[in-house]
Amino acid sequence: MRNVNRRALVKGSLAAVLTGVTMPRAAMAQSSEPILLGVSGPLTGPNAQYGAQWKQGFDLALDEIQAAGGINGRKLAYTFEDSQSDPRQSVAIAQKFVSDSRIVMELGDFSSPASMAASPIYQRAGLVQFGFTNSHPDFTKGGDFMWSTSVSQADEQPLLARYAVSRLGLKKLAILHLNTDWGRTSRDYFANAAKELGAEVVIAEGYIADERDFRSTLVRVRDANPDGLILISYYSDGALIARQARQVGLKQTICAASSVYSPKFLELGGEAVEDVHLGTRYFPEDPRPEVQKFVAGFKAKYNGQEPDAFNAYSYDAMNVAAAVLRIGGADRRAVRDAFTKVHDVSTVIYGPATFDVASRRVKGAMNAELVVRKGQFTLWDGKQPT
Amino acid sequence: MSSWLDYTINGLIVGNVYALVAVGLALIFGVSRLINFAQGSIYLVGAYIGWVAVVRLQTPLFITICLVAASSALVGLIIERFGLRPLQNSVRIAPLLATIGISFVLDQIVMLTFSPNPRALPSQLPDIRFQIGTGTIGPLDILIACIGITSALLLFAFLRYTKLGWAVRATAQDRDAAMQMGVDVNRVNQAVFGIAAALGGLSGMLVGMYYNQIDTAMSLQATLKGVVAEVVGGAGNVPGAVVGSLLLGLVESYGVAIFGTSYRNLFAFLLLIVVLVFRPNGIFASAKQAPPEPLTGTFVAPSRPVQIPRWALVIAFMAFALLPLLPVSSYVLQTLINAWLFAMLALSLTLVAGTIGQVSLGHAALLAIGAYTSALLSLDFSVPVSLAIICGGLMSAALGTLLISPSFRLRGHYVSIATLAIGEIISLIILNWETVTRGPIGVSGIPPLSLFGFELVSAATIYWFSFSVMVLLALLQVRLLGSHLGRSFRAIRDDDVAARAYGLSLNRYKALAFIFGGFAAGVSGGIAAHLYSYINHETFNTQQSILALTIVILGGLGNVAGAIVGSVALVGLPEVFRIAAEYRILIYGIVLLLLVRFRPQGLLGTI
Repeated sequence: MRNVNRRALVKGSLAAVLTGVTMPRAAMAQSSEPILLGVSGPLTGPNAQYGAQWKQGFDLALDEIQAAGGINGRKLAYTFEDSQSDPRQSVAIAQKFVSDSRIVMELGDFSSPASMAASPIYQRAGLVQFGFTNSHPDFTKGGDFMWSTSVSQADEQPLLARYAVSRLGLKKLAILHLNTDWGRTSRDYFANAAKELGAEVVIAEGYIADERDFRSTLVRVRDANPDGLILISYYSDGALIARQARQVGLKQTICAASSVYSPKFLELGGEAVEDVHLGTRYFPEDPRPEVQKFVAGFKAKYNGQEPDAFNAYSYDAMNVAAAVLRIGGADRRAVRDAFTKVHDVSTVIYGPATFDVASRRVKGAMNAELVVRKGQFTLWDGKQPT
Repeated sequence: MSSWLDYTINGLIVGNVYALVAVGLALIFGVSRLINFAQGSIYLVGAYIGWVAVVRLQTPLFITICLVAASSALVGLIIERFGLRPLQNSVRIAPLLATIGISFVLDQIVMLTFSPNPRALPSQLPDIRFQIGTGTIGPLDILIACIGITSALLLFAFLRYTKLGWAVRATAQDRDAAMQMGVDVNRVNQAVFGIAAALGGLSGMLVGMYYNQIDTAMSLQATLKGVVAEVVGGAGNVPGAVVGSLLLGLVESYGVAIFGTSYRNLFAFLLLIVVLVFRPNGIFASAKQAPPEPLTGTFVAPSRPVQIPRWALVIAFMAFALLPLLPVSSYVLQTLINAWLFAMLALSLTLVAGTIGQVSLGHAALLAIGAYTSALLSLDFSVPVSLAIICGGLMSAALGTLLISPSFRLRGHYVSIATLAIGEIISLIILNWETVTRGPIGVSGIPPLSLFGFELVSAATIYWFSFSVMVLLALLQVRLLGSHLGRSFRAIRDDDVAARAYGLSLNRYKALAFIFGGFAAGVSGGIAAHLYSYINHETFNTQQSILALTIVILGGLGNVAGAIVGSVALVGLPEVFRIAAEYRILIYGIVLLLLVRFRPQGLLGTI
């Protein structure tokens, strides 16, 4: 758990110094220092797991970027500051980053309060805040230096609704959602889309993130008599709900948002997540070369561990950042302008990704319709649930 | 009606799970009159030892249970010997703080060893389900119930019929008298901590198996629910803790049934407040039971405060006032802005906790009230920002005092627990009262700080603004403490019976302290809201309440200068340790423990 990036940074500059020996002096001054990104995210505290997953995705992407020659010949590196996803710390980190002239772009933070509290500082200082997990609809409204590759829930939820209603044929839905800004926004988009497709939402229950016990909630759900359960959850709470749903005797089809897509979901849910349907933004067996490269690279680097959605987000974010920097160079304002110029960056989540300049987000996330069969995520074969 | 049967069964199942933690807490409280905030961490340690045993060593269930119980007991013994025994002649607040520090350290060690990712902890019991109502229960439910009830009964018998048990009870009733009668108090404490820790660890493992999931965030939740259950059942009452847990489970389940899932914890904490107000010794306390807290102010360390010469204060003031003119980075200024905002909160808390002796663990709620009031006034009614912040302060003062007033009759630990609950209640109301607070979406686009029409956006101007507001509040508070009001506050803290005999109205003075304190906290929250531009119900959380209390104790309870010094130190320290990345909270916990050990009256001493 050592700070890998710091080590990479040292190694990178060491390598640069070594190669610099053979280079003319002027070129050395320009390329000996790596281009530095600032990452603000949780490494300790209740969300620490997500920071750890970010690092895995970043480091994999960095390996590939360096191997491909870095950013126009210079190394790319990042410095990760632990914010615990706490707004007080993320604003201090923001000041630290904006006053550090080596940093050309910031990535993160994880939670909305921490990210959006820091936005005014980045906006005023003119440093891009690139939030790749910030689905809060107001995040990019913080200013023209806020950019995001987070999948917009306005995009994602209608896809899930189509899967649940049109394809699986569910008509009376019970929605269980995390009662956070993400869960709430998602619920509203989902419910609207489901209604348009002719389904009825018979009950919607929000639960807080620390919740472990859902048995009583599920009794409420049962009494509403739905024919399908929609989980707008992360993998840990999603697995808990699925287990307890089966324990209290609910046998309805379960359909979950892409955020449960993680090997942990299968591990934590066990037999209870069998036949759970989910929409995802990518799928390891997707033949697209960028996906195959990501999955194979990830497994090779992390002892056969399967990547999950958060790994993919951070991997994509680092690649997008690299593509932006290749155009924008090391000037902060030029970096911002480069976001409008990057075109069809190859990503796992979007395929070729291009920013919509008005919303400063990327549209058109990939969609795969999966189902859990025999303890594995597999592409849905089109068989209606019985 | 069959649904009600299901709700009842579900309530009992969850209550069953809470009971295991509550029993351990009750046992420790029974003997050392200490709410062990580290119990949740032992629970966490037990869960992870269980994981190592089951997944790595693949031990059979019986061996797993023995292993977890033995190693958790060992952890408990270490905590008792090295964390708490050195503090036994110290003030009452010291061990309480030490347990908070220990819980930081344990949680971090587990997180660093096992990574924060959740893990599956497979149950080793056969997977048979029994149909009850429409739902099913498994062998684990039965095992948990058996362990909960058997351990409660065993403990009850142990306390009532064995010699060591008598010694435990004698120690609980009067430590000094027990020592005079030849009871080896240390051995008693050791026994109790060992047993409680074994139970705590075991419950962590069982609950982990129950949900097939363990993660490092489970510790705080377990402590919170365990404390609620324990107090409901009567602090220190072991069978009471079991019944209290079942009751808590039922109330939560019925709360979900009637109002919906997101109100669940609201009912848990309301239950706690109701019990505290009407039966402060718990629902099973007998009328003749001795008051659970000492009547005089031994809760707070008596000491002579450090006298800071006036010229030193002036120099410090000038230095901090002129700081932005020097070439310091805006990162340093921002960290100090955070320190000033925390100092306002600490001023508020040092007044209510230090000067009048009401140790509050829910102080962040006052920030939230101030922040939301100011943010919503300036957004929805276009009130100028500086005026909105003052309104936020006033609203915090009024609402905070009103909400806290039912707990004015409580003493010592009970005030802390009641305020902890009120803090949680306020956060849940903010989450659920969507028409006003915008619920989980939060309030975004809050206008930046401004004064007389000028926007304060640079770090330096925000620094000066927050610094001068903080200094102003501090000077007001110094003036207050020097007046007859300050003397009355301290009289109430030191001996409320004597104070009442002198004709002081306790409730009125406590209300005055909360009004003044609420205002300072509300202003701090208001400034924070405009500084962040976005707030939601999680912006001001329990961790901040605990940090504020640590600051106040570090500085010296009731000490105005101490609150400011403490804020700079504790907001600054984690930033200094930033270089240590994942290890910094661990270091912070250790520093806290050392402070409690070697200077329990705080850096500048209690006033």
